[in-house]
Amino acid sequence: MNGASFVDISRPAIRRRTLARSLRGTLKGGEYTWALAFVVPYIAVFIAFVAYPVVYGLWMGSEASLYRELFADPIYQSTVVNTVLYLALGVNVKMFLALLLSGFFMRPGWWMKALLLIFVLPWAVPQISTFISIHWMLNGEWGFLNNVLYGLFHVEGPHWLNDRWSALGAVIVAHIWKWTPFWTLILLAGRMAIPLEIRDTAKVDGATGMRGFVHITFPLLANLYLICTLLSTIFLLGDFNAVTFVSGGGPANQGHVLATIGIRNAFDLAQPRLGVAAVMSALPLVIPLVIILMRKLRAAEVQL
Amino acid sequence: MTYLSRRSILRGSLAAAAARPFVGPHIAKAAATTASVWFAQGFVQDEDVSLRKAVAEYEKQSGNKIELSITPFAPERQKIIAALTSGVVPDVMANNPGEIVQIYGWQDRWVDVSDVVETQKSQLSETAVVSGQAYNNVTKKVGQYGVPIRSAVVPCHIWRPLVEKAGFKIEDIPKTWDAYFDFFKKVQDNLRKQGERKVYGLGFQVTANGVDPYNLFMAFLLAYGGQNIVTKDGKLHLDDPKVKEAAIKATAYLGGAYRDGYVPPSAINWNDADDNNAFHAKLMVMDVDGTLSTEVAVKEKHPDWYFKDMVTHGIGYPTDNAGKPIPAIVGVTQLLIPKGAKNVTVAKEFMKYFVQPKVVGEFVELGLGRWLPVMPSLAKSPFWQDPKDPHLRGYVQMGLLGPTVPDYYVFNLAMAEVRSQHVWSMAMIDVAKDGVKPEVAVEKAFKRTEEIFAKYKKA
Repeated sequence: MNGASFVDISRPAIRRRTLARSLRGTLKGGEYTWALAFVVPYIAVFIAFVAYPVVYGLWMGSEASLYRELFADPIYQSTVVNTVLYLALGVNVKMFLALLLSGFFMRPGWWMKALLLIFVLPWAVPQISTFISIHWMLNGEWGFLNNVLYGLFHVEGPHWLNDRWSALGAVIVAHIWKWTPFWTLILLAGRMAIPLEIRDTAKVDGATGMRGFVHITFPLLANLYLICTLLSTIFLLGDFNAVTFVSGGGPANQGHVLATIGIRNAFDLAQPRLGVAAVMSALPLVIPLVIILMRKLRAAEVQL
Repeated sequence: MTYLSRRSILRGSLAAAAARPFVGPHIAKAAATTASVWFAQGFVQDEDVSLRKAVAEYEKQSGNKIELSITPFAPERQKIIAALTSGVVPDVMANNPGEIVQIYGWQDRWVDVSDVVETQKSQLSETAVVSGQAYNNVTKKVGQYGVPIRSAVVPCHIWRPLVEKAGFKIEDIPKTWDAYFDFFKKVQDNLRKQGERKVYGLGFQVTANGVDPYNLFMAFLLAYGGQNIVTKDGKLHLDDPKVKEAAIKATAYLGGAYRDGYVPPSAINWNDADDNNAFHAKLMVMDVDGTLSTEVAVKEKHPDWYFKDMVTHGIGYPTDNAGKPIPAIVGVTQLLIPKGAKNVTVAKEFMKYFVQPKVVGEFVELGLGRWLPVMPSLAKSPFWQDPKDPHLRGYVQMGLLGPTVPDYYVFNLAMAEVRSQHVWSMAMIDVAKDGVKPEVAVEKAFKRTEEIFAKYKKA
């Protein structure tokens, strides 16, 4: 090779030109300016509302002493257990129910559509007022549930929200009740997207009922189901409303999850950094979930 | 029709940029006479009306502008903490939560306002002035950071009809501490015999939410002789046998009353307003709760409740078991100027106006007397001494004219964290719910208290 024809791209001037060319792409002259004018606001918004808060949060929760204080706090320890239970039961029971119900709502008939309309109501109504209603229903002294128990059987019902496990159970049930309709609709849409020919062909081959579900429907829905489960887990990790308004993180702060303990530490204890640290402690779980989710969304063989 | 082109947009932008210096001076001038003030929303509308009136009169007299922001109590706490964390602060704010005077005073985050307090120092109660002071861990000095404007104590609230239904009269209520609260257990027992399934004798906030449980525990601690838990020099005295005995007795009584079924079971999950609501629903015969919010909230809608059925024991507040009066712990609302405030001059001017006896006196009176004045001379006004009002005279006697002490976090910031971490609540709940012995629960609480105090050692 002739040394004179060799282009040294490591030279700064050439490197700058190469970078500029790669940024410009096929844009020429004024087009490039307009492109910049349109992109800059988005970048500014991204920096102001995404990058800055995340970096600020990381900075606030960056001191090791915060985590020492957090891990030594018995309330935080019970919070971690609650969060794991809330995620494991709340997400999986809800998604499994949604999967079953989406099959049920595939049945034909006008009454099925009417039933579906009623079924989605819990999801459609504002969540804070419904969670407060559930809190009132479960009140031990004058709540609806215990009054019904007393009215029908002359039985004094338990104080549902006074026990850590029944309070957490109430939160999980409230969450499942509220969000099952939404995920049912998503999975129903997924089922409806399965081409009719595939199902008909499977029927001809004898894959009906449970066999049809196991060999045809579920494999085709599996990717969607997994993505929904991951998304739901990420949503639930940041869920503040169900715990705050159903159990209030009680009794005696034994019913908190990471999202609510963060608020408690930040504002009730007036220690914002400790609050951020509590939320940040969920990152080891959130980051792998997001990575798996991204990989699934990028999967070459998208089934549905 | 004019079309937008790249050139026209650029021309317009340049023109706007060129015009900016001519628009700027007006904004700058406005800022020089404008101060932003943050305040918590009142429990009754009259409180906000009285605040707006005071602000409007200041604006009229001074020509300055006050940007008043009134936010509900709980969100305002969050707003304040967020502002102090981010550094984007108003010019004036009231201390919500109360202990932020000391928490952020420790961090050197307030402007000294001793010159403002000095203008009315002879009028203000000593407790009110001291409550606005905090140890500054940067300057290593105690500074005056708060300007006191109103205060509150924790009286007892009683339903007369429930006491009478149980076969007693209000006059039958004993005067000494244990006998006083035991009386309401008898009231409950009698009401149960009459088939009242869901009425409880005592509205104790045996909960780990809000500020009520701390106030309740401290009232019992003082009644049992634990006044010296923290002395004025900020030292903690958990090794004092009297303090330990008082803490055990307080935990045993409060937790025991819950365990024995004399407190509504839902109390374990109450937040600050829940006991008020439960009291209004006649779920319990009596409540121990700060301010007159319970009464003033129903004054307009249920005047018969306010004037006939509800009894406030400020004057009738029980003595200790030996018959000696117990000092009332006073919580004081203070106006503060955070460092970083844009207009300290107007902020201080506004404070000087607001703390004048006439202004601050009218402010608490127009708020229906939920809050107490901070100047003993104001307690003599016809409003507070109205013989027709069954609540105000006793309340002002208890919180302003009688023996008072500031809250203990004023002497040592660590006590604020003891309060917010609900150290005493956990002791009460251990006894109430889990059957832990009071001595064991108190030992655990003392250990936690010592750990917290260790964090705030003065240099």
